[in-house]
Amino acid sequence: MRVRWFASFPIVYALAFAVVAGTLTGDEGMAPFVAWQRVLTRILAFAGCYAAVSVFESGDHLRRAWLWLGGGTLVILSRDLLRLLIPAFGPGSTSPMALPTLAALGVIANLALLFGIVELSRSWRKASIELPGGRSGVTAFAVLTAAIAILVVGPAALQHAQAFAAGDWGALVLLVSALVDILTLSLITQLLLTAVALRGGLFVWPWALITASQVCWLIYDAAQAYGPALGPSAFPLPDVFRGMAGNFVFAAGMGQYLVVRHVRRMARGR
Amino acid sequence: MTSVSSSVSEQVASRLSPYIGAFNAQMWIRSVARRSLGISTEELTEAHVDRLLEGLRPFLQTLMGRSTADDLLVQIGREVG
Repeated sequence: MRVRWFASFPIVYALAFAVVAGTLTGDEGMAPFVAWQRVLTRILAFAGCYAAVSVFESGDHLRRAWLWLGGGTLVILSRDLLRLLIPAFGPGSTSPMALPTLAALGVIANLALLFGIVELSRSWRKASIELPGGRSGVTAFAVLTAAIAILVVGPAALQHAQAFAAGDWGALVLLVSALVDILTLSLITQLLLTAVALRGGLFVWPWALITASQVCWLIYDAAQAYGPALGPSAFPLPDVFRGMAGNFVFAAGMGQYLVVRHVRRMARGR
Repeated sequence: MTSVSSSVSEQVASRLSPYIGAFNAQMWIRSVARRSLGISTEELTEAHVDRLLEGLRPFLQTLMGRSTADDLLVQIGREVG
């Protein structure tokens, strides 16, 4: 089944990213490469979400989840394109519209992505899936995941909160993004254990791949927070994991589309 | 009572397992048998198939959507019932 191909795509993409980034020297080559490959991964992630939405009907639980994820991706994509293509919204712009517009888009996108992950993560309860490890095991694992998320993202969230409190409105979107990261990363447990409960079945794929995406966001946040402490580096390591996170959403959406289509075809005897 | 009681749950589980995994298939069947029918999986007979599948419907609908779940349940009902 083609799901395996999509599942391996984020790894292949990361390797290609590393090869290209390794050949680039100086910020004048690296900055546009990183920015435009980010646009590419957003487009792919949106395509994956759209594919997943297309196999469900209005009112289906997972349709709602993928709609939130796709909507959030589309908003953050439009924010990236505004910054790249319209000088008034680019870095260093003095336009009075730029900061509030970009901040609003960033906050809306983050909240939509949060709702999408929350909807996915509560599917196990809605579908009465018994998570491995029992109630105490799940709780212990969830507390551990939340602690790791706070450890990784907490310092940045605090820093952005202080900047926002001091009147820096540009820090608002960073603060919301950090808080959303803490909340969504705390939900890795439910996503991972749902995948484990579905092991051996085709439906393990979307859950495993969306879990992989969240793990990549966690590593991205860790690379952002602790990377500079390891010394100066021209290689954009956080962007490798940001790209992988987006590409795993693409793979998860395509996986969702393919497995639902497969079940439908088998059930209808085609 | 027919002597196929345990095989009904096995037959349904074997048709669900390729999609939702053997662990989850068995858990769902056990849960529906106990909560909706008030019996153990060993006591399931062909007479329980319709109600068993009806009990599985909301779980499957959550994971694969309503129309796909309905199609799958019709197929399982045809093959097992």
